[in-house]
Amino acid sequence: MARFPSEAWFGAVAGVFNGDDSYQGAGGGHCNCTAGLVIEGRNEGKDEDVVEEVFVLTFEGAECKGGVEADEAALDEVDFYMHMPRVDWREMLEDIRDHGHATENHTLNSLDLERDDGLSTSKHGDQYREDLFFRYNQTLQFYFDASARVKTAFS
Amino acid sequence: MTPVPNPKFEWMNQSRQWGVRVKPGKKGLTLGSLNVGIYGEVPTEWNDQTRNPRGAIARRGMPPVGYAIREKAGIWADCAADLYEEAIQRRWAPATDVPWDTIEPLPDDVERAVCQVCTELSQYANVDIETISSWQHQMAYGYHEVKQFLATATFDAGRHYEVFRKRALRNGGGLGLESPGEVNRMILESRGGWTEAVTYLFLLRGTYAMTMLRYLERFAHNDAERFIYGHVIQDRARHMAYALDHLKYSVAHVEDQTTVLATLLFIGDRLFARELRDPVLREALAIIFGGGVEGARTHGMATWEAMMREFMARYEGTCEWLRVRRAPDRIPEEMRRFLPEAD
Repeated sequence: MARFPSEAWFGAVAGVFNGDDSYQGAGGGHCNCTAGLVIEGRNEGKDEDVVEEVFVLTFEGAECKGGVEADEAALDEVDFYMHMPRVDWREMLEDIRDHGHATENHTLNSLDLERDDGLSTSKHGDQYREDLFFRYNQTLQFYFDASARVKTAFS
Repeated sequence: MTPVPNPKFEWMNQSRQWGVRVKPGKKGLTLGSLNVGIYGEVPTEWNDQTRNPRGAIARRGMPPVGYAIREKAGIWADCAADLYEEAIQRRWAPATDVPWDTIEPLPDDVERAVCQVCTELSQYANVDIETISSWQHQMAYGYHEVKQFLATATFDAGRHYEVFRKRALRNGGGLGLESPGEVNRMILESRGGWTEAVTYLFLLRGTYAMTMLRYLERFAHNDAERFIYGHVIQDRARHMAYALDHLKYSVAHVEDQTTVLATLLFIGDRLFARELRDPVLREALAIIFGGGVEGARTHGMATWEAMMREFMARYEGTCEWLRVRRAPDRIPEEMRRFLPEAD
Protein backbone atom coordinates (compact mmCIF):
# COMPACT_ATOMS: atom_id res chain seq x y z
CA MET A 1 0.00 0.00 0.00
CA ALA A 2 1.44 3.37 -1.01
CA ARG A 3 0.07 6.73 0.01
CA PHE A 4 -0.82 9.30 -2.63
CA PRO A 5 0.96 11.65 -3.00
CA SER A 6 4.39 10.44 -1.98
CA GLU A 7 7.69 9.53 -3.60
CA ALA A 8 6.94 5.90 -2.75
CA TRP A 9 3.65 6.08 -4.64
CA PHE A 10 5.18 7.66 -7.75
CA GLY A 11 7.97 5.09 -7.62
CA ALA A 12 5.53 2.20 -7.31
CA VAL A 13 3.53 3.45 -10.30
CA ALA A 14 6.76 3.97 -12.27
CA GLY A 15 7.65 0.35 -11.50
CA VAL A 16 4.39 -0.89 -13.04
CA PHE A 17 4.67 1.54 -15.97
CA ASN A 18 8.29 0.66 -16.77
CA GLY A 19 7.60 -3.05 -16.53
CA ASP A 20 4.70 -3.14 -18.98
CA ASP A 21 5.87 -3.30 -22.61
CA SER A 22 2.38 -2.57 -23.89
CA TYR A 23 2.87 1.05 -22.81
CA GLN A 24 5.81 1.37 -25.20
CA GLY A 25 4.00 0.52 -28.43
CA ALA A 26 0.94 1.83 -30.22
CA GLY A 27 1.69 5.51 -29.88
CA GLY A 28 3.45 5.28 -26.55
CA GLY A 29 7.20 5.02 -26.40
CA HIS A 30 10.06 7.39 -25.84
CA CYS A 31 9.10 10.43 -23.84
CA ASN A 32 11.45 13.13 -22.62
CA CYS A 33 10.03 15.70 -20.29
CA THR A 34 9.78 16.84 -16.70
CA ALA A 35 6.26 17.32 -15.42
CA GLY A 36 5.28 18.98 -12.19
CA LEU A 37 2.38 17.69 -10.18
CA VAL A 38 0.71 20.08 -7.78
CA ILE A 39 -1.70 19.06 -5.06
CA GLU A 40 -3.78 22.02 -4.08
CA GLY A 41 -5.72 22.64 -0.91
CA ARG A 42 -8.44 25.06 -0.06
CA ASN A 43 -7.41 28.39 1.40
CA GLU A 44 -10.07 28.79 4.07
CA GLY A 45 -11.87 32.08 3.89
CA LYS A 46 -10.62 32.86 0.38
CA ASP A 47 -11.97 31.71 -2.95
CA GLU A 48 -8.72 30.25 -4.16
CA ASP A 49 -6.63 27.11 -3.99
CA VAL A 50 -3.16 27.03 -2.50
CA VAL A 51 -0.22 24.80 -3.33
CA GLU A 52 0.12 22.14 -0.64
CA GLU A 53 2.49 19.63 -2.17
CA VAL A 54 4.69 19.56 -5.29
CA PHE A 55 6.28 16.56 -7.02
CA VAL A 56 8.41 16.44 -10.14
CA LEU A 57 7.98 13.48 -12.48
CA THR A 58 10.79 12.75 -14.92
CA PHE A 59 10.41 10.77 -18.12
CA GLU A 60 13.54 9.78 -19.97
CA GLY A 61 13.45 7.61 -23.06
CA ALA A 62 11.28 4.57 -22.39
CA GLU A 63 11.36 5.04 -18.62
CA CYS A 64 9.67 7.04 -15.96
CA LYS A 65 12.30 7.85 -13.36
CA GLY A 66 9.68 8.35 -10.67
CA GLY A 67 8.66 11.45 -8.82
CA VAL A 68 10.53 13.47 -6.24
CA GLU A 69 9.05 15.85 -3.73
CA ALA A 70 10.00 19.45 -4.40
CA ASP A 71 9.16 22.97 -3.38
CA GLU A 72 7.10 25.45 -5.35
CA ALA A 73 10.21 26.97 -6.94
CA ALA A 74 10.72 23.72 -8.87
CA LEU A 75 7.69 24.63 -10.95
CA ASP A 76 9.79 27.30 -12.68
CA GLU A 77 11.99 24.57 -14.14
CA VAL A 78 9.57 21.86 -15.27
CA ASP A 79 8.28 21.73 -18.85
CA PHE A 80 4.70 21.95 -17.58
CA TYR A 81 2.82 21.11 -14.44
CA MET A 82 -0.57 19.62 -13.69
CA HIS A 83 -2.48 21.13 -10.81
CA MET A 84 -5.68 20.06 -9.09
CA PRO A 85 -7.15 20.10 -5.61
CA ARG A 86 -6.40 17.00 -3.60
CA VAL A 87 -10.00 15.82 -3.84
CA ASP A 88 -9.92 15.94 -7.66
CA TRP A 89 -6.66 13.98 -7.87
CA ARG A 90 -8.30 11.39 -5.67
CA GLU A 91 -11.40 11.25 -7.86
CA MET A 92 -9.26 10.76 -10.97
CA LEU A 93 -7.23 7.98 -9.40
CA GLU A 94 -10.33 6.24 -8.07
CA ASP A 95 -11.85 6.29 -11.54
CA ILE A 96 -8.67 4.71 -12.89
CA ARG A 97 -8.70 2.11 -10.12
CA ASP A 98 -12.35 1.24 -10.77
CA HIS A 99 -12.04 0.91 -14.56
CA GLY A 100 -8.41 -0.07 -15.08
CA HIS A 101 -7.84 3.17 -16.96
CA ALA A 102 -9.22 6.70 -17.01
CA THR A 103 -12.69 7.05 -18.48
CA GLU A 104 -14.61 9.91 -20.07
CA ASN A 105 -14.18 13.06 -18.04
CA HIS A 106 -11.24 11.69 -16.05
CA THR A 107 -8.64 11.54 -18.82
CA LEU A 108 -5.90 14.15 -18.58
CA ASN A 109 -7.18 15.82 -21.74
CA SER A 110 -10.75 15.96 -20.43
CA LEU A 111 -9.66 17.36 -17.09
CA ASP A 112 -7.66 20.03 -18.89
CA LEU A 113 -10.77 21.02 -20.85
CA GLU A 114 -13.28 20.73 -18.04
CA ARG A 115 -11.52 22.69 -15.37
CA ASP A 116 -11.93 26.46 -15.38
CA ASP A 117 -8.21 27.07 -15.07
CA GLY A 118 -7.20 23.92 -16.95
CA LEU A 119 -5.07 21.08 -15.67
CA SER A 120 -1.75 21.72 -17.38
CA THR A 121 0.11 25.01 -17.37
CA SER A 122 3.57 26.46 -16.82
CA LYS A 123 5.32 29.30 -15.06
CA HIS A 124 7.58 30.13 -18.01
CA GLY A 125 4.86 30.52 -20.64
CA ASP A 126 6.98 28.81 -23.31
CA GLN A 127 4.33 27.27 -25.50
CA TYR A 128 6.72 24.83 -27.11
CA ARG A 129 7.48 23.28 -23.71
CA GLU A 130 3.88 23.54 -22.49
CA ASP A 131 2.74 21.56 -25.54
CA LEU A 132 4.76 18.54 -24.40
CA PHE A 133 1.63 17.81 -22.38
CA PHE A 134 -0.11 17.07 -25.69
CA ARG A 135 2.86 15.50 -27.50
CA TYR A 136 3.30 12.91 -24.75
CA ASN A 137 -0.29 12.82 -23.59
CA GLN A 138 -0.81 9.08 -24.10
CA THR A 139 2.38 8.25 -22.22
CA LEU A 140 1.33 10.48 -19.34
CA GLN A 141 -2.09 8.85 -19.42
CA PHE A 142 -0.50 5.38 -19.48
CA TYR A 143 1.55 6.35 -16.44
CA PHE A 144 -1.49 7.34 -14.40
CA ASP A 145 -3.46 4.37 -15.76
CA ALA A 146 -0.70 2.13 -14.38
CA SER A 147 -1.73 3.31 -10.91
CA ALA A 148 -4.76 0.99 -11.21
CA ARG A 149 -2.32 -1.79 -10.29
CA VAL A 150 -0.89 -0.03 -7.23
CA LYS A 151 -2.78 -0.28 -3.95
CA THR A 152 -3.28 3.33 -3.01
CA ALA A 153 -4.14 5.05 0.23
CA PHE A 154 -5.05 8.70 0.27
CA SER A 155 -3.79 11.20 2.76
CA MET B 1 38.14 -12.80 -74.21
CA THR B 2 37.76 -9.26 -72.85
CA PRO B 3 40.35 -8.58 -70.16
CA VAL B 4 39.00 -7.91 -66.66
CA PRO B 5 39.45 -4.16 -65.96
CA ASN B 6 41.85 -3.31 -63.22
CA PRO B 7 39.92 -1.24 -60.62
CA LYS B 8 41.69 1.91 -59.44
CA PHE B 9 39.52 2.67 -56.36
CA GLU B 10 40.19 6.39 -56.78
CA TRP B 11 36.87 7.27 -55.11
CA MET B 12 38.01 5.72 -51.85
CA ASN B 13 39.92 8.76 -50.64
CA GLN B 14 37.12 11.14 -51.50
CA SER B 15 35.66 12.39 -48.22
CA ARG B 16 35.47 15.80 -46.65
CA GLN B 17 35.84 14.31 -43.20
CA TRP B 18 36.85 10.71 -42.49
CA GLY B 19 37.20 8.83 -39.22
CA VAL B 20 33.88 9.86 -37.75
CA ARG B 21 32.66 7.47 -35.09
CA VAL B 22 29.38 8.59 -33.50
CA LYS B 23 28.40 6.55 -30.48
CA PRO B 24 24.80 5.68 -29.69
CA GLY B 25 23.50 7.53 -26.63
CA LYS B 26 20.65 6.76 -24.25
CA LYS B 27 18.15 7.29 -27.07
CA GLY B 28 20.14 5.19 -29.55
CA LEU B 29 22.00 6.45 -32.60
CA THR B 30 19.80 9.42 -33.35
CA LEU B 31 19.71 11.63 -36.43
CA GLY B 32 20.61 14.68 -34.37
CA SER B 33 23.65 12.99 -32.83
CA LEU B 34 25.20 12.68 -36.32
CA ASN B 35 25.67 16.43 -36.45
CA VAL B 36 29.38 16.36 -35.64
CA GLY B 37 32.25 18.11 -37.40
CA ILE B 38 31.45 19.24 -40.92
CA TYR B 39 28.34 17.06 -40.91
CA GLY B 40 26.79 19.33 -38.34
CA GLU B 41 27.39 22.52 -40.27
CA VAL B 42 23.96 23.81 -41.28
CA PRO B 43 24.52 26.88 -43.46
CA THR B 44 22.18 29.86 -43.55
CA GLU B 45 22.01 29.42 -47.33
CA TRP B 46 22.32 26.21 -49.33
CA ASN B 47 23.37 27.03 -52.83
CA ASP B 48 24.00 23.49 -54.05
CA GLN B 49 21.18 22.81 -56.48
CA THR B 50 21.71 19.05 -56.56
CA ARG B 51 20.73 16.15 -54.35
CA ASN B 52 24.18 16.10 -52.81
CA PRO B 53 23.78 14.99 -49.17
CA ARG B 54 25.11 17.52 -46.65
CA GLY B 55 28.78 16.77 -46.01
CA ALA B 56 29.40 14.79 -49.21
CA ILE B 57 31.66 15.96 -52.04
CA ALA B 58 29.76 17.50 -54.91
CA ARG B 59 30.21 15.86 -58.30
CA ARG B 60 31.07 18.28 -61.08
CA GLY B 61 28.66 18.84 -63.92
CA MET B 62 25.49 17.82 -62.11
CA PRO B 63 22.45 19.54 -63.62
CA PRO B 64 20.47 21.70 -61.15
CA VAL B 65 17.27 20.27 -59.70
CA GLY B 66 15.77 23.71 -59.04
CA TYR B 67 15.12 23.80 -55.31
CA ALA B 68 13.18 26.91 -54.36
CA ILE B 69 13.73 26.69 -50.58
CA ARG B 70 17.44 27.18 -50.04
CA GLU B 71 17.49 29.54 -47.06
CA LYS B 72 17.60 28.23 -43.54
CA ALA B 73 15.17 30.89 -42.34
CA GLY B 74 12.54 29.55 -44.71
CA ILE B 75 12.47 26.01 -43.39
CA TRP B 76 14.53 25.42 -40.26
CA ALA B 77 13.51 24.28 -36.78
CA ASP B 78 16.12 23.12 -34.28
CA CYS B 79 13.80 20.39 -33.03
CA ALA B 80 13.32 18.70 -36.43
CA ALA B 81 15.84 15.88 -35.93
CA ASP B 82 14.39 15.00 -32.50
CA LEU B 83 10.84 15.15 -33.83
CA TYR B 84 11.81 12.79 -36.63
CA GLU B 85 13.03 10.23 -34.09
CA GLU B 86 9.94 10.78 -31.98
CA ALA B 87 7.62 10.21 -34.93
CA ILE B 88 9.34 6.94 -35.79
CA GLN B 89 9.40 5.80 -32.17
CA ARG B 90 5.82 6.73 -31.28
CA ARG B 91 4.12 5.41 -34.42
CA TRP B 92 0.90 3.42 -34.24
CA ALA B 93 -1.11 1.29 -36.62
CA PRO B 94 -4.85 1.89 -37.06
CA ALA B 95 -5.48 -1.62 -38.35
CA THR B 96 -4.32 -3.40 -35.23
CA ASP B 97 -3.73 -0.91 -32.40
CA VAL B 98 -7.20 0.65 -32.27
CA PRO B 99 -9.58 -1.48 -30.15
CA TRP B 100 -12.17 -1.61 -32.92
CA ASP B 101 -14.29 -4.20 -31.10
CA THR B 102 -15.24 -1.65 -28.44
CA ILE B 103 -17.43 0.19 -30.97
CA GLU B 104 -21.09 -0.58 -30.43
CA PRO B 105 -24.18 0.66 -32.27
CA LEU B 106 -24.98 4.32 -31.63
CA PRO B 107 -28.26 6.19 -32.14
CA ASP B 108 -28.66 7.03 -35.83
CA ASP B 109 -28.28 10.80 -35.38
CA VAL B 110 -25.09 10.38 -33.37
CA GLU B 111 -23.59 7.89 -35.85
CA ARG B 112 -24.35 10.26 -38.71
CA ALA B 113 -22.65 13.09 -36.83
CA VAL B 114 -19.55 11.00 -36.06
CA CYS B 115 -19.33 9.95 -39.71
CA GLN B 116 -19.68 13.53 -40.88
CA VAL B 117 -16.88 14.68 -38.58
CA CYS B 118 -14.70 11.77 -39.76
CA THR B 119 -15.37 12.79 -43.36
CA GLU B 120 -14.17 16.30 -42.57
CA LEU B 121 -11.12 15.09 -40.64
CA SER B 122 -10.17 12.77 -43.52
CA GLN B 123 -10.15 15.80 -45.78
CA TYR B 124 -7.95 17.70 -43.33
CA ALA B 125 -5.51 14.79 -43.46
CA ASN B 126 -5.57 14.79 -47.25
CA VAL B 127 -4.72 18.48 -47.26
CA ASP B 128 -1.82 17.80 -44.88
CA ILE B 129 -0.46 15.14 -47.23
CA GLU B 130 -0.83 17.19 -50.40
CA THR B 131 0.48 20.42 -48.91
CA ILE B 132 3.58 18.95 -47.33
CA SER B 133 4.44 16.80 -50.32
CA SER B 134 3.91 19.68 -52.73
CA TRP B 135 6.68 21.58 -50.92
CA GLN B 136 8.90 18.63 -50.02
CA HIS B 137 10.62 18.42 -53.42
CA GLN B 138 11.40 22.13 -53.32
CA MET B 139 13.40 21.88 -50.10
CA ALA B 140 17.18 21.79 -50.44
CA TYR B 141 19.07 18.80 -49.08
CA GLY B 142 21.14 20.99 -46.80
CA TYR B 143 18.24 20.89 -44.36
CA HIS B 144 17.64 17.14 -44.45
CA GLU B 145 16.46 17.00 -40.81
CA VAL B 146 13.38 19.02 -41.75
CA LYS B 147 12.79 17.08 -44.96
CA GLN B 148 12.92 13.82 -43.04
CA PHE B 149 10.66 15.06 -40.27
CA LEU B 150 8.13 16.30 -42.80
CA ALA B 151 8.20 12.90 -44.47
CA THR B 152 7.01 11.44 -41.15
CA ALA B 153 4.35 14.16 -40.90
CA THR B 154 3.07 13.12 -44.33
CA PHE B 155 2.98 9.52 -43.18
CA ASP B 156 1.17 10.58 -39.98
CA ALA B 157 -1.42 12.33 -42.14
CA GLY B 158 -1.80 9.19 -44.23
CA ARG B 159 -2.52 7.33 -41.02
CA HIS B 160 -5.09 9.97 -40.02
CA TYR B 161 -6.85 9.71 -43.37
CA GLU B 162 -6.95 5.96 -42.90
CA VAL B 163 -8.19 5.93 -39.31
CA PHE B 164 -11.04 8.41 -39.81
CA ARG B 165 -12.21 6.56 -42.91
CA LYS B 166 -12.11 3.32 -40.96
CA ARG B 167 -14.13 4.78 -38.10
CA ALA B 168 -16.75 6.08 -40.55
CA LEU B 169 -17.11 2.67 -42.19
CA ARG B 170 -16.98 0.55 -39.04
CA ASN B 171 -20.36 1.03 -37.40
CA GLY B 172 -23.16 0.88 -39.95
CA GLY B 173 -22.69 4.42 -41.27
CA GLY B 174 -20.60 5.76 -44.11
CA LEU B 175 -18.93 8.89 -45.33
CA GLY B 176 -20.93 12.10 -45.26
CA LEU B 177 -20.82 15.41 -47.07
CA GLU B 178 -17.67 16.95 -48.51
CA SER B 179 -16.54 20.10 -46.69
CA PRO B 180 -16.83 23.53 -48.34
CA GLY B 181 -13.09 23.29 -48.88
CA GLU B 182 -12.26 27.00 -49.02
CA VAL B 183 -9.64 26.79 -46.29
CA ASN B 184 -8.31 23.58 -47.86
CA ARG B 185 -7.82 25.41 -51.14
CA MET B 186 -6.21 28.40 -49.43
CA ILE B 187 -3.67 26.12 -47.72
CA LEU B 188 -2.96 24.09 -50.85
CA GLU B 189 -2.62 27.12 -53.07
CA SER B 190 -0.46 29.26 -50.78
CA ARG B 191 2.56 30.05 -52.91
CA GLY B 192 4.48 32.60 -50.89
CA GLY B 193 6.91 30.07 -49.45
CA TRP B 194 6.97 27.20 -47.00
CA THR B 195 6.66 29.52 -44.00
CA GLU B 196 3.36 30.79 -45.39
CA ALA B 197 2.16 27.21 -45.83
CA VAL B 198 3.21 26.44 -42.24
CA THR B 199 1.24 29.45 -41.03
CA TYR B 200 -1.97 28.31 -42.68
CA LEU B 201 -1.58 24.54 -42.37
CA PHE B 202 -0.38 24.33 -38.77
CA LEU B 203 -0.95 27.62 -36.98
CA LEU B 204 -4.48 28.27 -38.24
CA ARG B 205 -5.92 24.91 -39.36
CA GLY B 206 -3.72 22.86 -37.04
CA THR B 207 -4.76 24.73 -33.91
CA TYR B 208 -8.41 24.40 -34.88
CA ALA B 209 -8.08 20.68 -35.63
CA MET B 210 -6.23 20.06 -32.37
CA THR B 211 -8.93 21.80 -30.37
CA MET B 212 -11.66 19.86 -32.13
CA LEU B 213 -9.86 16.57 -31.52
CA ARG B 214 -9.45 17.38 -27.85
CA TYR B 215 -13.22 17.89 -27.53
CA LEU B 216 -13.92 14.74 -29.53
CA GLU B 217 -11.69 12.79 -27.15
CA ARG B 218 -13.63 14.27 -24.25
CA PHE B 219 -16.92 13.12 -25.80
CA ALA B 220 -15.69 9.81 -27.26
CA HIS B 221 -18.32 7.06 -27.23
CA ASN B 222 -15.98 4.13 -26.73
CA ASP B 223 -12.34 3.17 -26.22
CA ALA B 224 -11.74 2.98 -29.97
CA GLU B 225 -12.72 6.61 -30.50
CA ARG B 226 -10.82 7.64 -27.38
CA PHE B 227 -7.74 5.90 -28.77
CA ILE B 228 -8.12 7.45 -32.23
CA TYR B 229 -8.60 11.03 -31.09
CA GLY B 230 -5.96 10.76 -28.36
CA HIS B 231 -3.33 9.43 -30.75
CA VAL B 232 -4.10 11.90 -33.53
CA ILE B 233 -3.73 14.69 -30.95
CA GLN B 234 -0.22 13.44 -30.17
CA ASP B 235 0.75 13.32 -33.84
CA ARG B 236 -0.66 16.76 -34.49
CA ALA B 237 1.08 18.14 -31.40
CA ARG B 238 4.35 16.96 -32.94
CA HIS B 239 3.55 18.77 -36.18
CA MET B 240 2.66 21.85 -34.16
CA ALA B 241 5.99 21.64 -32.32
CA TYR B 242 7.82 21.87 -35.65
CA ALA B 243 5.58 24.74 -36.76
CA LEU B 244 6.10 26.75 -33.58
CA ASP B 245 9.85 26.20 -33.64
CA HIS B 246 10.08 27.12 -37.32
CA LEU B 247 7.93 30.22 -37.01
CA LYS B 248 9.95 31.32 -33.97
CA TYR B 249 13.16 30.82 -35.97
CA SER B 250 11.72 32.64 -38.93
CA VAL B 251 10.60 35.59 -36.80
CA ALA B 252 14.10 35.79 -35.29
CA HIS B 253 15.90 35.74 -38.65
CA VAL B 254 13.66 37.45 -41.19
CA GLU B 255 13.15 41.18 -40.96
CA ASP B 256 9.57 42.29 -40.51
CA GLN B 257 8.39 38.69 -40.38
CA THR B 258 5.88 39.29 -37.57
CA THR B 259 4.12 41.86 -39.75
CA VAL B 260 4.11 39.45 -42.69
CA LEU B 261 2.60 36.73 -40.50
CA ALA B 262 -0.03 39.17 -39.22
CA THR B 263 -0.99 39.99 -42.81
CA LEU B 264 -1.15 36.34 -43.78
CA LEU B 265 -3.42 35.61 -40.84
CA PHE B 266 -5.58 38.63 -41.68
CA ILE B 267 -6.18 37.03 -45.09
CA GLY B 268 -6.49 33.49 -43.77
CA ASP B 269 -8.93 34.40 -41.02
CA ARG B 270 -11.41 35.74 -43.56
CA LEU B 271 -11.61 32.47 -45.43
CA PHE B 272 -11.67 30.55 -42.16
CA ALA B 273 -14.52 32.73 -40.87
CA ARG B 274 -16.47 32.29 -44.10
CA GLU B 275 -16.19 28.54 -43.77
CA LEU B 276 -17.43 28.76 -40.17
CA ARG B 277 -20.76 29.98 -41.56
CA ASP B 278 -21.29 26.57 -43.13
CA PRO B 279 -23.46 24.71 -40.60
CA VAL B 280 -22.50 21.11 -41.39
CA LEU B 281 -19.45 20.61 -39.17
CA ARG B 282 -20.83 22.82 -36.39
CA GLU B 283 -24.10 20.87 -36.24
CA ALA B 284 -22.39 17.49 -36.39
CA LEU B 285 -20.09 18.44 -33.52
CA ALA B 286 -23.03 19.81 -31.51
CA ILE B 287 -24.85 16.47 -31.92
CA ILE B 288 -21.80 14.59 -30.64
CA PHE B 289 -21.31 17.00 -27.73
CA GLY B 290 -25.02 17.01 -26.93
CA GLY B 291 -25.56 13.26 -27.28
CA GLY B 292 -28.10 13.61 -30.07
CA VAL B 293 -30.18 16.08 -32.05
CA GLU B 294 -32.17 17.19 -29.00
CA GLY B 295 -29.10 17.79 -26.88
CA ALA B 296 -27.41 19.54 -29.79
CA ARG B 297 -29.89 22.39 -29.52
CA THR B 298 -28.89 23.14 -25.95
CA HIS B 299 -25.70 21.94 -24.31
CA GLY B 300 -24.30 20.59 -27.59
CA MET B 301 -24.15 24.07 -29.08
CA ALA B 302 -22.96 25.51 -25.78
CA THR B 303 -20.08 23.01 -25.82
CA TRP B 304 -19.31 23.92 -29.45
CA GLU B 305 -19.07 27.54 -28.35
CA ALA B 306 -16.75 26.54 -25.50
CA MET B 307 -14.64 24.69 -28.06
CA MET B 308 -14.43 27.81 -30.20
CA ARG B 309 -13.40 29.89 -27.18
CA GLU B 310 -10.68 27.35 -26.42
CA PHE B 311 -9.55 27.48 -30.06
CA MET B 312 -9.37 31.26 -30.14
CA ALA B 313 -7.55 31.41 -26.80
CA ARG B 314 -4.88 29.01 -28.08
CA TYR B 315 -4.69 30.60 -31.52
CA GLU B 316 -4.27 34.10 -30.13
CA GLY B 317 -1.96 32.80 -27.40
CA THR B 318 0.33 31.33 -30.04
CA CYS B 319 0.31 34.56 -32.05
CA GLU B 320 1.21 36.46 -28.90
CA TRP B 321 4.01 33.98 -28.12
CA LEU B 322 5.35 34.58 -31.64
CA ARG B 323 4.96 38.35 -31.07
CA VAL B 324 2.54 38.62 -33.96
CA ARG B 325 0.35 41.53 -32.99
CA ARG B 326 -3.25 41.36 -34.10
CA ALA B 327 -5.74 44.11 -33.46
CA PRO B 328 -9.08 42.56 -32.43
CA ASP B 329 -10.97 44.78 -34.87
CA ARG B 330 -9.05 43.14 -37.73
CA ILE B 331 -10.27 39.70 -36.71
CA PRO B 332 -13.57 38.68 -38.40
CA GLU B 333 -16.63 38.86 -36.19
CA GLU B 334 -17.25 35.09 -36.59
CA MET B 335 -13.98 34.52 -34.74
CA ARG B 336 -13.70 37.66 -32.62
CA ARG B 337 -16.80 36.83 -30.62
CA PHE B 338 -14.96 33.86 -29.17
CA LEU B 339 -11.97 35.85 -27.95
CA PRO B 340 -11.52 35.60 -24.15
CA GLU B 341 -12.15 39.36 -23.78
CA ALA B 342 -15.48 38.97 -25.55
CA ASP B 343 -16.91 36.80 -22.73
